[in-house]
Amino acid sequence: MTVQQSSQRRGGGGGYLQRPAPSGLADVIDIILDKGIVIDAYIRVSLVGIELLTIDARIVIASVDTYLRFAEATNRLDLVEQGGGKPLDEFIGDMQESGASKKVGGAVRGAKKAISGGSSDDDEERRPARKSSSRRRSED
Amino acid sequence: MSSTTTTGPDGSVGTDRGFFVYGVVLAEAGRVPDGLTGVEGSPVRAVARGPVAAVVGEIDVDRTTGRRADLVAYSKVLDELAGSGAVAPVQFGSVLLDEQSIDEELLAPNEQYFAELLAELDGRAQFNLRASYHEQVVLAEVVAADPEIRRLHELTRDLPEEASYADRVRLGELVARALEDKRVLEVEALLDSVLPLTAAYSLRTGAGVDHVLDVALLVDDDRRSDFEDHLEGLAEAVHERIALRLLGPVAPYDFVGGDVWV
Repeated sequence: MTVQQSSQRRGGGGGYLQRPAPSGLADVIDIILDKGIVIDAYIRVSLVGIELLTIDARIVIASVDTYLRFAEATNRLDLVEQGGGKPLDEFIGDMQESGASKKVGGAVRGAKKAISGGSSDDDEERRPARKSSSRRRSED
Repeated sequence: MSSTTTTGPDGSVGTDRGFFVYGVVLAEAGRVPDGLTGVEGSPVRAVARGPVAAVVGEIDVDRTTGRRADLVAYSKVLDELAGSGAVAPVQFGSVLLDEQSIDEELLAPNEQYFAELLAELDGRAQFNLRASYHEQVVLAEVVAADPEIRRLHELTRDLPEEASYADRVRLGELVARALEDKRVLEVEALLDSVLPLTAAYSLRTGAGVDHVLDVALLVDDDRRSDFEDHLEGLAEAVHERIALRLLGPVAPYDFVGGDVWV
């Protein structure tokens, strides 16, 4: 296996895929934090501060604070009402178009369904069946 | 870097020394490149037992907090090793006291497991794929799709926060649920598209309004260019709603079985 810092390959696409070199501290932390074989160590060098910050950012809490954050994000939205962007049906049109020609029909169908079908009821832990935590194919 | 230890990088003198463990590799001559240094600038070397070896470097055991430079040194050592063969990373910060504990406590009980793990990782590399919504686009979808969300949005957006607290909480809750419903479908579609080109995957947690998917993917070296090309195409296809970000190749941090055998 060859690992190099920034393999900026040009695939067939027009550069829509972001390929940052993982040199920034945030990326390094994100890649390694809490990962790797856990051994019964004599001591453990810990990353005070950094660790807390990152873990905090990952916590998913269904709390009032979280809801207020979502509400705030929604209310920053001025696209449709104030003409700050494309009208919504144009978005949907674009999505159908790209969906027809590309390989991601599923995502697009999902979005269309969500748009036309309204909100389904709550589902605390609904997950796709195979979204179990981790899988190794050659497991024996 | 500004180490507090009084010993030189060769670890020859002074205070108590321990072994910072980076990972496990196959015990082969030259597996750890000459001159490779890690945390505290200390030389990195292999301690072998049977077919496997721990990759370690001496450090001052009195030090229990890590710094930015330590983290970067750790990941550099592992990426360097991953560049020339299979390596199973050990969690950052693990320090064993002496060579005897490396041999008896780490390698001896797990020799076979490590050998199998390394065989499985051989010829493969990890990539981290993250998908994020363009927040404005997806929120516009959510608002348009649900009359109650639209009503609450219109009701609360021009009111001061105190005057509309309950409605805001309700709005946020509905938006969060609608996004989660949507996200489940996106994740399914993205994984369906990508997983056929991978050997294994491991979902990572994420949060936030724009979060869609954060996943570690183990990719065979001989399928890597197909995988990268495919992701380029996928990124283009979804780019109006979702941004895809690919990190890697990196050492296979997410594919070492976690804490199964502690």
